[in-house]
Amino acid sequence: MSTSILAGEDLKKYFPTSRGVIKAVDGVNFEMKKEGEVLGVVGESGSGKTTLGNMIVGIYSPTSGRITFKGMDLSMSARHRPVQLKRDIQMVFQNPASSLNPKRSVAQALEVPLKVHGGGVSVRERVDELLSLVELPTEYADRYPEELGGGEKQLVAIARALATNPSLIVLDEPTSSLDVSVQAKIINVLLRLKGRLGLTYVFITHNLSLMRNVSDRVMIMYLGKVREVAATEEFFRNPIHPYTRMLLSSIPVITDAEEEAKPERIQNVGEIAGGLDLPSGCSFHPRCPYVMDVCKKSDPLLLEVAQQHFCDCHLYPRDYRDTAGK
Amino acid sequence: MSLVEVEDLKVEYKVYEGWLKVLNGVNISLNKGEKIGIIGESACGKTTTVKSIMRLLANNAKIAGGQIRYAGEDVLTMPKKKLMNLRRRNMSMIFQDPTAALNPVFTIGQQLYDIVKYSTDEHLSKQERHERAMTFLKEAALPEPDRILDSYPFQLSGGMKQRVSIAMALVSANELLIADEPGTSLDVTIEDQIMRLLKKIVEEKGLSVILITHALGTVKNFVDRIYVMYAGTIVEEGPTKEVFNHPQHPYTEMLIKAVPKLTGGGVPEGILGLVPSYLTPPAGCRFVTRCPYRMDICDPEVPPMYRVRNSQQAACFLFDERYHAR
Repeated sequence: MSTSILAGEDLKKYFPTSRGVIKAVDGVNFEMKKEGEVLGVVGESGSGKTTLGNMIVGIYSPTSGRITFKGMDLSMSARHRPVQLKRDIQMVFQNPASSLNPKRSVAQALEVPLKVHGGGVSVRERVDELLSLVELPTEYADRYPEELGGGEKQLVAIARALATNPSLIVLDEPTSSLDVSVQAKIINVLLRLKGRLGLTYVFITHNLSLMRNVSDRVMIMYLGKVREVAATEEFFRNPIHPYTRMLLSSIPVITDAEEEAKPERIQNVGEIAGGLDLPSGCSFHPRCPYVMDVCKKSDPLLLEVAQQHFCDCHLYPRDYRDTAGK
Repeated sequence: MSLVEVEDLKVEYKVYEGWLKVLNGVNISLNKGEKIGIIGESACGKTTTVKSIMRLLANNAKIAGGQIRYAGEDVLTMPKKKLMNLRRRNMSMIFQDPTAALNPVFTIGQQLYDIVKYSTDEHLSKQERHERAMTFLKEAALPEPDRILDSYPFQLSGGMKQRVSIAMALVSANELLIADEPGTSLDVTIEDQIMRLLKKIVEEKGLSVILITHALGTVKNFVDRIYVMYAGTIVEEGPTKEVFNHPQHPYTEMLIKAVPKLTGGGVPEGILGLVPSYLTPPAGCRFVTRCPYRMDICDPEVPPMYRVRNSQQAACFLFDERYHAR
């Protein structure tokens, strides 16, 4: 078996609270085989996508299950991770205004990882190099976050993630707090960096239109579980899971061509359940228009329903429906 | 007949460094029963415009010029009492963040009963107030309205809270409803539900609507006519379909292009640069700093609105044959 870049096996993260256990991520399996791949993780708030990202970079350690990175076990928390692995896996957060320290200049923010992880070249030179990588003028080194626009701040945050020469970056909604005009700029910088530095991205977002244009594969999460995974082309041509189709048909689009590309509208009812009391069986069943008796009792498995296209729904594979309906 | 007319409105904000010249001559007109949308990036003056209509501007704001008429009457010079009556019975506003719009220490019932009480001059008994509150909650498609009335905001989900604030707005919106990014803080499936509900309600009641958003897809399915706003000026106006299919102003064109499409095709470059500083905005066209078609005339002179393609207007010298034949 060839080693994958990043893989998760039956990954779980539970948060105990005074009122019960929140199952933020509940048995997630995924694999990224190719270097330079962009895996899009899509879901509504509360679906566990950020928790998954945090486990990959080591902010949380999994409750059970395994994460491997190039064959090495990552299941310990970041504190116990070998330094080389910390360098290799970096993260960009959603809100650059809160992930940058307002009292540190851009250069100071970028110097921290350089000093911690060393590098040999003079720190200042490397700061300039990082800024030009993210296409910011080097004069920005002496500015403070408040002097920068939202997009520029996010570029600085990206530069900081690049400081340790990582090979995998977890992007947690890097553009969702930005305007579309700025979003386009950030995305293009990210894609160019990927080509130049041979990076692999785990791209977490709730924006499916963006995923269509950025990721190689899309993974849909709902209440801590993976509901559907497929290559982007296949995914958008042939969305299968009822939740995916509900999500796709809810997206507001601006052109007629997009309107036609959307799947037939699925009655959109209810909201994502809270983390504490999950519905029995398939957790999507209270919102699902095709709900059957079996959905309330047993949780479906993630099965291959088409070439490299996985989906967990009792309706698929198709022949199951005939037996279940009777 | 027009319900709201905004004429050459100028609004400035006092800050430590001086006066921010935010609105620079905004013209908007809204007919009875019409739905209009104002789109543009963040910090373009969309919210300032509608807040001026309701006279809800912050203390550091001053109206530096222009007029606002509501049903023919001057809103800006109207005595306080009359303005209050207008707000009580005729117009209302839905805000972006329902969590911030609801008071966390009172139950929904306490807040809604008050609104019902002050929306009319008649004396209502407790029972009547309760009944009216219930009708509005039912209109906003809230399940179990009895339970909602006894709940505190934190006990409700984001979607429910937004429905509650719609219900609250409906109490006094008998003519005009202003919705300031009503779906932005919600998940896409919930936003879809809320926008459909809102559209159904305003069409049933024949309300006039001003919808503000930076999500272009949302506005497209909702409004009849669109105003595109950039840095405190209206740059384009026209029927929704025309503006989306044939954007005229360079800003509109670039903004629409920057939205990632569900049909793929990559991510466009976006609009480079930033909204100019409101302390020292360009004397002429405010888009001049980011415009790829800039001409010599654009900086000293402010472009007037040119009529283009019969039904649209755009504020750009490209449509003046003296400077440029397009």
